[in-house]
Amino acid sequence: MSNQKVWAWLIAGMIAYIPANTYTMLKTSTLVETSEATIIGGVSELIDYGNIGIALVIFVASVLIPIGKFAAVAYLAISVQRRSVLNQHHRHRMFEIVEFIGRWSMIDVFVVAILSALVQLDGLATINPGIAAFSFALSVIFTMLAAQSFDSRLIWDVDRTKP
Amino acid sequence: MTKDQSPQPAPLDVRPTRRPLWQRISVVWLVPVLALLVSLGVAYQSYSTQGTLIEISFENASGVTADETVIKYRDVTVGRVKKVIFADGLTDVLVYARLDSTVVPYLDDDATFWVVRPDVSVRGITGLDTVLGGVYIEGNWDTQADVAQTQFVGLEDAPLTRAGQEGSVISLRTRDGSALSEGAPILHKGIQVGYLETPTLSFDGNEVIAEAFINSPYDRRITSTTRFWDTSGFSISLGTGGVSLDVNSIASLIEGGIAFDTVVSGGRPIRPGQLFDIFDDEETARSSLFSNPRRSEEVLELTILFDSSVSGLAVGSEVRFQGIRIGSVSELSAFVVMQDDAQVVRLRTNIAIEPSRLGLGKNASPEDALELITAYVEDGLRARMITGNILSGSLQVELVQVPNAAPETLVADPLTFPIIPTTKSLITDVAATAEGVLDRINELPVEEVMESAIDLMNSIERLTNNNDLRNVPASAIALLDETRNLVSNDDITAVPSELLGAVDDVRQTVAELNTIIAGISDQDVVTKLSTTLDTANAAVANIEEATRNLPAITARVEGIADKLFAVEIDELINNANATLASLDQLIGSDDTAALPTSVSAALDELRLFLGEVRAGGAVENVNAALASASAAAQAIETSVAGLPALSTRATRLVAETEAVIAAYGDRSRFSTETVGTLRDIQAAADAITSLARTIQRNPSSLLTGR
Repeated sequence: MSNQKVWAWLIAGMIAYIPANTYTMLKTSTLVETSEATIIGGVSELIDYGNIGIALVIFVASVLIPIGKFAAVAYLAISVQRRSVLNQHHRHRMFEIVEFIGRWSMIDVFVVAILSALVQLDGLATINPGIAAFSFALSVIFTMLAAQSFDSRLIWDVDRTKP
Repeated sequence: MTKDQSPQPAPLDVRPTRRPLWQRISVVWLVPVLALLVSLGVAYQSYSTQGTLIEISFENASGVTADETVIKYRDVTVGRVKKVIFADGLTDVLVYARLDSTVVPYLDDDATFWVVRPDVSVRGITGLDTVLGGVYIEGNWDTQADVAQTQFVGLEDAPLTRAGQEGSVISLRTRDGSALSEGAPILHKGIQVGYLETPTLSFDGNEVIAEAFINSPYDRRITSTTRFWDTSGFSISLGTGGVSLDVNSIASLIEGGIAFDTVVSGGRPIRPGQLFDIFDDEETARSSLFSNPRRSEEVLELTILFDSSVSGLAVGSEVRFQGIRIGSVSELSAFVVMQDDAQVVRLRTNIAIEPSRLGLGKNASPEDALELITAYVEDGLRARMITGNILSGSLQVELVQVPNAAPETLVADPLTFPIIPTTKSLITDVAATAEGVLDRINELPVEEVMESAIDLMNSIERLTNNNDLRNVPASAIALLDETRNLVSNDDITAVPSELLGAVDDVRQTVAELNTIIAGISDQDVVTKLSTTLDTANAAVANIEEATRNLPAITARVEGIADKLFAVEIDELINNANATLASLDQLIGSDDTAALPTSVSAALDELRLFLGEVRAGGAVENVNAALASASAAAQAIETSVAGLPALSTRATRLVAETEAVIAAYGDRSRFSTETVGTLRDIQAAADAITSLARTIQRNPSSLLTGR
């Protein structure tokens, strides 16, 4: 019953995550050129320039964590319906982690928003958010909603009904 | 109950009612569905607007970068290069680019692409924006959608003509392509109306052909009679019009340029790519219309057969009619005719006349002009050569109306053009004239003249060095003074009246002679005449002698007058004034005026008389007349013989008077009387003197009446 909502939000978040990766995150216009960067494109560009640390941060925050959240929420939702390998304690810990990370997942969107607001030097350089930023934000929101609509008690209910 | 350990009611089969599906599905499911729809929509939109991938092959794609280089159409970005790779065999660079789907339908076979790079030329700087922003690919195609293509061959340089540009393309041909360069302007009346494309050498290497694009609407100015000429650099020409210097715009100086003009109206419209020749200069271009009848049917060609040399006449020389240029010489040639069984080379000059310049209107045809010229020729129109430019010696052909010309007609020659008759040429040959002048100067006996002149000058020098001659002026002045004195003398004044009296006497004498002669017989005429003449001669001699003393008398009188002058100056002046007044009166008197008439009358009578004498029948009287004349002459002689005595006496009287005056110098009354007496004496003396002079001057007049 309550898993329905989880699945719904989760699927919406996953759908939103697709354009967040395929479309451009940042539109950077300088005097001489205009560059459009996707998340992965930006990461590879950073690696080219040698900023492996920043690239890693962005990669983790924008790729690993959302995907990890999708995976975690989906696992929890499945596990309440079927038997799980992990015991209840582990799954409950997993749920807590997902809920905690959720609010930090918006860091990418924050970066884009701040850059867009700050770098608006007419003609010289401007940075505008692309479709991907919007999609990414939606994706994060949907995932958080999915995590919130998950009733953690169900983890334990399964064992009570089937001792 | 045994079955059931407690008598409790059977447990209720409580089953939740199965709610319908739409109640069991959460509303939240709308969210992922919406998200999916939106995503799909975005994806579709993105796909549909990403455009078509096209392939452009370039030989050189310097500066073209994938994902950065854009493709522009009319300076609007319509696509972006996605990939730059080499074609198989590394022959070309293949550029793949996505173009907006809005322009893709127009990418047909006329679409061209080229890489825009900075370009600095005489005409300006283009592509400056690519210095900072990097190169871009410019595409050009017309606005007609045709069969769309996705493979194109890129151009190396920007084409000058953009697709869809209004105008016409023509081909220009020349033998020397040095004046042509790509983009060189094509000028019409100084305004750029088009430009040249890249000139190319023809296959056989003899010609250079360049396509040219003329912008609309100026391309309508080009017809089959349009002529193009090279305006590059500057040209100086010396012709019949003097020196002409043509300089065009600086750009055409450096880059070359082509100008055109439609010389004759009525040409046919051009077809695309029509071939035109480029002439060396404007004059040649313009005259080419007349020199080539195939190119223009608008001129009337006539032939002139000049008898004299046509040296100085050239193809293009002007043909003038009443001073206005109506055409030009189109051809000069020689041909052989049979004349009296001998081959004679004649010179043929073809001229091309523009009918429109004959005042026949713009649309006049050569036939109209021929008709007009034919009529004119019958009225005396002839062709002749005139000097166009004295310095260069170039000639022009002039059609001139010759008054009273021998009737001739325009000879229609089937082999050549109609032959227009000629008249004498009007050639100012400066060289020949100058030569003639010099020849004449050469023939002058300059040396002889110089020698004579030198001799003459030597003689003059000798003469002027002579002392006698130097004294001449003074003597002449003295002589003149004396003459003036003599003339102003009172003696002269009384002459006319005395002469008149004398003449009257002569007339009386002659009248008497007339009566005497009536009795003269014809015997011994000659001898008597001779004696008469001798007697007359003697008489004249006597008179001469008598008059010889007259100067002395005059001198004396003068002396007396001088003395009187010294005594009574005032009186004398008064008298002189009175005398002058009398003289005035005398001169103005009718007598004086009548004198010549009287003399004339007397002489006429004498002539008449002599005429009668000469006439037959009077001869017998002549003898007697002559005898009488002889007698008369003798009488005159005797009377004249007394003249010296009279003179002597007069002289003596004057001397005495002089003595008396000397004695009575102060007595005024006596002096006055003496003056009056002296005046009478003087008058008498003057009368004698004048008579004597008259007779002395012309003794024979007494006889001949002449």
